[in-house]
Amino acid sequence: MKRSLSEFLLASLAAVVLVSFAMAPIAEAAGGRAGGGGGARAGAGGGGGGGARQGAQINNSRADVRSNDVRSTSVNNVNVDRNTVVVAGDRGGCCGGGWDHPVAAAAVVGTTVAVTAAAIGSMVATVPPGCVPVNYGGMVYQQCGGTWYMPQGSQFVVVNPPY
Amino acid sequence: MERKILVLGLLAMSLAAPGVHAQKPPAGPAQPVAGAVDAPSIQALKDMGAHLQTLKRFRVSTELTGERVLKDGQKLQHTATANLDVVRPAKLHAVMSSARAERELIFDGKTVTLYTPAQKYYSTVEFDNTIGGLIERLEERYGVELPLADLFRWGTPAAPLDKIESAMNAGQDFIGKDLCDHYAFRQSGIDWQIWITAGGKPLPRKVVITNRADEARPQSVSVISWNLKPTFEDSIFRFTPPKGAKKIEIVPRKTK
Repeated sequence: MKRSLSEFLLASLAAVVLVSFAMAPIAEAAGGRAGGGGGARAGAGGGGGGGARQGAQINNSRADVRSNDVRSTSVNNVNVDRNTVVVAGDRGGCCGGGWDHPVAAAAVVGTTVAVTAAAIGSMVATVPPGCVPVNYGGMVYQQCGGTWYMPQGSQFVVVNPPY
Repeated sequence: MERKILVLGLLAMSLAAPGVHAQKPPAGPAQPVAGAVDAPSIQALKDMGAHLQTLKRFRVSTELTGERVLKDGQKLQHTATANLDVVRPAKLHAVMSSARAERELIFDGKTVTLYTPAQKYYSTVEFDNTIGGLIERLEERYGVELPLADLFRWGTPAAPLDKIESAMNAGQDFIGKDLCDHYAFRQSGIDWQIWITAGGKPLPRKVVITNRADEARPQSVSVISWNLKPTFEDSIFRFTPPKGAKKIEIVPRKTK
């Protein structure tokens, strides 16, 4: 998550650049991560984590649309009752997949047809002016009227409204 | 759902086939009883939970590999990591990283802050409680799940062990350099396994959860690392908005 804030704020009048109309991707699996080494960090003392990515950014623009067509996800905690029914749609395809939020991907190509000007799944370099950032389910969205965006690397992807 | 139908179907079939019941079980050595709850395995969970509750100040890290199942049953893996700096009962600083986002959760016993460093957005909620209380509150009200939340439930009433339908000792294994006892459990819709360090100070080193509700059986694998003598300062539990940070609204979870 290294998208630059300045770029985002610059959206004074910046035209919405539709980078891709393809139902594009928010796959968690795609893209490499420089640095972030395996177990080396684990157990090391010291302050907060982060910063291990050395500026590398996720780019999922080439990920297949099918990679978002999720029917269910793994569960991450043992003692949560709802884990028994963590299937796509159970909690609105938004925030039910555990702390790493794999289900959020489903929001991109969910069955809900959002009333929105921008095509669900399309990528934009900047969001329109006047958008409001909102934390929902632990993820930060950009709400722009009826259109919702989610950060995606240095870009934003149009998603179904999370609620 | 589909699974229930399947089970009912099989049940109906077996009821309709008396021949099945007529067969005598083969003679021989005692057969392990399917679904039996092995008491020592449950006790191992209790001992681990009790030990976890005694830890006052620690850093715990996890590397998670999860799976999501596509419409046609194909599975995709994803990875995420988290570091938790903890001072019981009510101080927590978590850093969560996945492909999508890097996020922090900071809790000093009075106020919890969710922060996304890349955009410098933060949301703050007043909450005067313990870490355990915080976990339930975040999930219930905001749909925010804390990594390794089970660590704060085991050894408390929030982790009832009477729902376990099957428990067994699966032998021993090494996780990293740590010799561990391996246990396997079944309850409601999930199977799960845990590797607990052998010896007098049991700590969970690996947890695998399998979702039986989907016939593709997606799994998550969490390898857990411990530092019981962490060097962090208590100042990490207080959030001071960095320059340029913007406070944003956090919206309570809504049910559709």
